[in-house]
Amino acid sequence: MKLLAHLLAMGCLMAISDPKTPFIIWLFALGIGVVLGGWNMKYLVTRLVPYLLFFILVFWMMAAFGKGDHTVWKWAWFHITEESLRNGVTIAFRMLGFVTFGLLFTSTTDLTAFMMSLIHQCRMSPKWAYGMLAGFRFIPLFQSELKQMKAAHKIRGYKRKNSWKAFMRYALPLFTQGVRKSERLAIAMEARGFTGTKERTYYHIISTSWIDYMYLFLIGISVFMCIYFV
Amino acid sequence: MNSFLACNDLTVRFYEQPKPVLHQLSLTIQKGEKVLFLGPSGSGKSTLISVLAGIIPEHVEADMQGEVVLQRHTGVMFQDPDSQFCMHRVNEEIAFSLENRSVPREEMDGIIQQLMQKVQLDVDPHTEIHTLSGGMKQRLALACLLALQPDVLFFDEPTAQLDPAGRMDIFQLLQQLAADQQQTMIFVEHVLDGVIEWMDRVILLDDQGSILADGAPKDVLAAYEEEMKEAGIWRPKLFPEKWSTIIQDPFHPLSQTFMQTFEARKEQREKVPSMERETMIRTENLQLSYGKKRVMSNLQLDIKAGDWVAIIGENGSGKSTCLKHLIRLEPAKKGHIFLKETDLKKWSDRLLFEKAGFVFQNPELQFIQDTVFDEIAFGGRQRNWPESVVQEKTVQLLKEFGLEKHAKAHPFTLSLGQKRRLSVATMLLFDQDVLLLDEPTFGQDEKTAKELMRRLKERQCQGTTIVMVTHDMELVDECADQVLLFHQGKHVYDGTPYDLFSNQELIDTYQLRVPLHYRYVAERKDVLTIAK
Repeated sequence: MKLLAHLLAMGCLMAISDPKTPFIIWLFALGIGVVLGGWNMKYLVTRLVPYLLFFILVFWMMAAFGKGDHTVWKWAWFHITEESLRNGVTIAFRMLGFVTFGLLFTSTTDLTAFMMSLIHQCRMSPKWAYGMLAGFRFIPLFQSELKQMKAAHKIRGYKRKNSWKAFMRYALPLFTQGVRKSERLAIAMEARGFTGTKERTYYHIISTSWIDYMYLFLIGISVFMCIYFV
Repeated sequence: MNSFLACNDLTVRFYEQPKPVLHQLSLTIQKGEKVLFLGPSGSGKSTLISVLAGIIPEHVEADMQGEVVLQRHTGVMFQDPDSQFCMHRVNEEIAFSLENRSVPREEMDGIIQQLMQKVQLDVDPHTEIHTLSGGMKQRLALACLLALQPDVLFFDEPTAQLDPAGRMDIFQLLQQLAADQQQTMIFVEHVLDGVIEWMDRVILLDDQGSILADGAPKDVLAAYEEEMKEAGIWRPKLFPEKWSTIIQDPFHPLSQTFMQTFEARKEQREKVPSMERETMIRTENLQLSYGKKRVMSNLQLDIKAGDWVAIIGENGSGKSTCLKHLIRLEPAKKGHIFLKETDLKKWSDRLLFEKAGFVFQNPELQFIQDTVFDEIAFGGRQRNWPESVVQEKTVQLLKEFGLEKHAKAHPFTLSLGQKRRLSVATMLLFDQDVLLLDEPTFGQDEKTAKELMRRLKERQCQGTTIVMVTHDMELVDECADQVLLFHQGKHVYDGTPYDLFSNQELIDTYQLRVPLHYRYVAERKDVLTIAK
């Protein structure tokens, strides 16, 4: 349900072309994050900063190379117009809004619960959901292995030349480990009776309650208001 | 056949391989029996377990001929704890087994509680799995298996990735379980201490996939000692003798062996080096930290050139972290480390790695090249050595570590033991003065482990300083000149193995597992004083 709400908000964002609105919506998402999600400054900074850079880049691209009639500033091949400025801001904020909503979702949702709801509400086959869950377990393992590999390579005196080849070097053992582990896991799961079919009972039962619908409603209304009153 | 579990003329061949793994094997297992499969690597023990558990051919494809009698409900425990779990938390994982059996939701929590108690897993059911130790993970795996209410339990090297303490715990737990429930259990293991004492039967396979011996543990061990040694199985230190008999009898052959070993160590200890030895590594008020976590403060170490130093302690006590600091893999935030009297920070990367080598626990992580030869030669080529020198040194190392036959092979195709040897060989191209090893014998069979130690000893005689993190106390006793004991963020002991293992107070305080000969001497003393 939450996913739906967020998707809706993002969808609306796509449709808006006026620069001010996305800005407000973005602030709104930020607000929810801070209040309900328990975000603090540090978290925000680490997560959003990379996007901020991208944001600035896009803004600049749109603004500096835009077309339009009201020239505001001109220098060499940079050509900023009012329209392009507006465009730039719009798109940049739209992006930021997208990202923030996405972040809001992932940081406040428990993965297992999400997967389970996919099974129950969206009728996803258990085979996929459990498979993905198992896959997610491997991510931190990969991270620690990558760190170890980098250390090992450093000791050997391996200079990271061009990143493509280096990546392959790192990737191969990670992949082989990954394949091996996932094969073993698949066998283990099957040995425990997992068939991937729907004939099973569930430990986590996720149901939609009125809170979910309220949330959807609230987000929908707020976004709506932002559009109409700004 | 009206047996519980059996196979008749079983031949199994995997499609990618020309030769069958199991060759016309016939055996029968009765209900309630505890059986141990032994054999060299590649003898098909795991395959046999997979067949008897029903994994082959149902979940894994293979060309299988012959008859097999199976039980419907089986559970298999594998050696890699992480590859057995698919969920995030403990209760979810156990519930997974229950879900597969379509157990009604209402009953699940009760069963989960019960099982956790049975395997002595005293944690909050909502604990995240990745925070558990290896031993606890295997207990969780056991709980998940028991949730299936199996008729037979199979164990494929379940303790291979556990430290000795974890291993003993699991075996004790299993032994208890076996006694309580008359559960049929089938094991494949390489380390016999802790498991062979309570087995009903031992089946020894040869490397062709046929049965070499099938009988009572004592008999098979006695008759096939050579074969088992060849297969690299860690021979039990005590079995089939009983500790109580040995203690009482000073003329028992094992008693004599223990006394001899003890005396040998004592002599070694008393040999004081005649000349002043230079310090190789020295630390001053060093603070060990792992990421942001502070692990240890004010560490003072003084490691002499040519010494073999062992660092021991429980998991998490900072052993590996210390090692990483010594080679600057982790930056030292406070305090100083001096390598050959120069601050570690002042060494350039290049020079540092010429003087010090590090062998990781997982050898695969450090392989860079496509052939074994290039792997060893890599360091030299990186430094633009003349090709002839590179060739010469590489060939020498290949010979030294028994890898000449595999010079053209890809590192990943080697066996675990060979990979381990290769990773050590790569580190020695520069004839490093210092070699740091992180659990070098972990998960290895006896033959490979002993060989590795032998080669390291050779190097030590040539002057290399060795610093090793390990859990293997026998190894420490045999090879180390100096032992450092870490405990809960403190460096609590620095001295010789002999002194450490003879100090009853330390042993009791830190719950050390001492090699048997020390235990023997200590208990003999008690027996003698009581007798007086």
